[in-house]
Amino acid sequence: MKNFLKAALVASMLAPLVGCGGNNANEPAANSSESDKKVYNVAYLVNGNLGDKSFFDSAAAGLQTLEKDGRITLKTIEMGGTDADKPRWLSTLYEVSETGEYDLIICGTYQMPDFLKEVATEYPDQKYAIFDDNTYAGDNNNVLNLTYKQNELGYIIGTFAASMTTDTSVDRINPDKVIGFVGGIDSPVINDFLYGYIAGAQNVDPDIKVDTRYTNDYVDTAIAKEYGLSMIGDNKADIIWGVAGNAGNGAAEAALEKGSAWFIGVDSDQESTFSADLAAITLTSGLKNVGNSLIWVFDEWDAGKEYWGQEVTLGLKDNGVGVVTDKNFDKYASQETKDKVNAAIQDVLDGKVEVPTALGNASKDLETLRESVRP
Amino acid sequence: MLQMIFTPEFFFAIFRITAPILFATMAAVICEKAGVSNIGLEGTMMISALFGSLFAYYSGSWFIGLLVAIVTGILVSLFMGFFAFNLKTDIILTGTAVNMIGSGGTIFLVKVITGITQGTQLTSTTSLITQKLQIPSITIPFINQIPVIGNVLSGHSLLTYLAFISVFLTWVLLYRTPLGLNIRSVGENPHAASSVGVSVLRIKYITMVIAGILCGMGGAFMSMYYAMGWSLDMLAGRGFIALAAQAMGAGEPLGCMLSALIFGFAQALGIKLSATGVDSNLVSPIPYLVTIIGLVVFAIIARRRAKRAHHEKVSA
Repeated sequence: MKNFLKAALVASMLAPLVGCGGNNANEPAANSSESDKKVYNVAYLVNGNLGDKSFFDSAAAGLQTLEKDGRITLKTIEMGGTDADKPRWLSTLYEVSETGEYDLIICGTYQMPDFLKEVATEYPDQKYAIFDDNTYAGDNNNVLNLTYKQNELGYIIGTFAASMTTDTSVDRINPDKVIGFVGGIDSPVINDFLYGYIAGAQNVDPDIKVDTRYTNDYVDTAIAKEYGLSMIGDNKADIIWGVAGNAGNGAAEAALEKGSAWFIGVDSDQESTFSADLAAITLTSGLKNVGNSLIWVFDEWDAGKEYWGQEVTLGLKDNGVGVVTDKNFDKYASQETKDKVNAAIQDVLDGKVEVPTALGNASKDLETLRESVRP
Repeated sequence: MLQMIFTPEFFFAIFRITAPILFATMAAVICEKAGVSNIGLEGTMMISALFGSLFAYYSGSWFIGLLVAIVTGILVSLFMGFFAFNLKTDIILTGTAVNMIGSGGTIFLVKVITGITQGTQLTSTTSLITQKLQIPSITIPFINQIPVIGNVLSGHSLLTYLAFISVFLTWVLLYRTPLGLNIRSVGENPHAASSVGVSVLRIKYITMVIAGILCGMGGAFMSMYYAMGWSLDMLAGRGFIALAAQAMGAGEPLGCMLSALIFGFAQALGIKLSATGVDSNLVSPIPYLVTIIGLVVFAIIARRRAKRAHHEKVSA
């Protein structure tokens, strides 16, 4: 009886989904007769809400571009971002997978892998893609993990920061060649940002010192601010890159309070999400281009290349990472700085520079480097 | 190296780091005197921090934000009191619940009220708070002219001064007012207090209100001065460190203030040490180590004292 009830409940919940799925299923067939390219039916599950000006919006923008170009049909489901919404993430994943209507189901962030692993194991024929997470990369051969080369991102930001700190004609820049890095946790991913950052900075000027501090969590904005104040006050840092989630903003607040330093954001364009005061001292942000990475997936898929069951790491070459170059960057960076940044990007693209990574077994090398560049 | 560490900036930082802990410590002191184990300080401050920053934004005035933070602190404390005193729930569990609401509930409220979502980890009201909505810093005339000391004592946030004034006020309240006598008697022996006509329930509620005011100011300090805007779990354990400071200071206002200052000193020292090249992974546990060591020392002293008192009693 219980099972019957369950089945009836599931059926009633699925009925509307199956209904609209049926309509969608006809479209690809109609389109494919016109062109030889397949139109993919895609579901994008947002474990939060759109409007975050960050990953979720970036992914949605990429998918909307694909939809506009007639390459996919898209269904976006916003599942809500609070703890109370979490059970819904799993049930929605199940429901959407159950329909079997979608060629690809996309979700993202570090909060989803556990749910995705469970559902992907249950539906081995369904294809999934998860962005900015590699927790279970390779465990399910129907899941594609998309990650981003934060070391290449770090290299470009390092190049920029070093060029700026040596350009004393810019407001707030002092003669000391010191830049700062406020990291979240001394972990491979955060250190991957750092490794590129130091490498990029040293490439511009080997005398550049990098002051690295870790907040040891991603929430304590106040301690990040204390570290930022200490970097600026004790070590004369004039540019600080905050890579510590919300806590990183504390470094921006330190720069604002001291009035003698700049801040660089991470992941999304923080200049456009900050209040006016903080935005005014944010020079640029290192970006993870989630939207571009999704377009890349379909480009490859059309070309017959599939990566299910793998982790694909996208760097500058595939537009997976980038930096903000308008607003304050455009306003304050000299032509020489801009040239250096562009040259650094070109070097990475051409393969002239191999940016070292902290992922894998390189943590000892990074530690040595980190200590050697301390102010 | 010592010259680099012990700068006026360093001593200034001690006061700044201590202030939010001190608010919560004084709240813990008063609650503990009334026999109320309020472990919900952390959650109360987190909720106050959120509403303080939100209303500062909506009203365009830091003062209104501060008032709302205080009112929020009072309401949350009364809510705790209602469950603990009237509905007879376990106060520790109620406190735990408030702490959980402070974490999960605030993020829910932010979403409902502002629609801001940047993934759970990144939700904050930082985008709303500008410098003019922050609680102002105060330059003390004359004192700021004195070299070194002026740099240490002048220029703090209004709330930093209030935090240290609250220590004195707490002492006055507890030891120089009839209300304080009632609070202490309720904490010592509620039955004796009620037998002479003191309403235990009323005194406990008053205690919670005072704790709420202090937590409200602590929360406002965090979201409207220390950091710009509220962000998830931004208290990062300060409410619990206050409980440790309360225990370390034997529940007396002055001793507890010193304990809180030791914690602030340890954290400021850790930050300074990391500036000289000591790994920040090594310095970040310093405040907690100091807390543990302090508790051990305190426990040893208290035991010795108790033993001695016992011996004296026996020999007498």
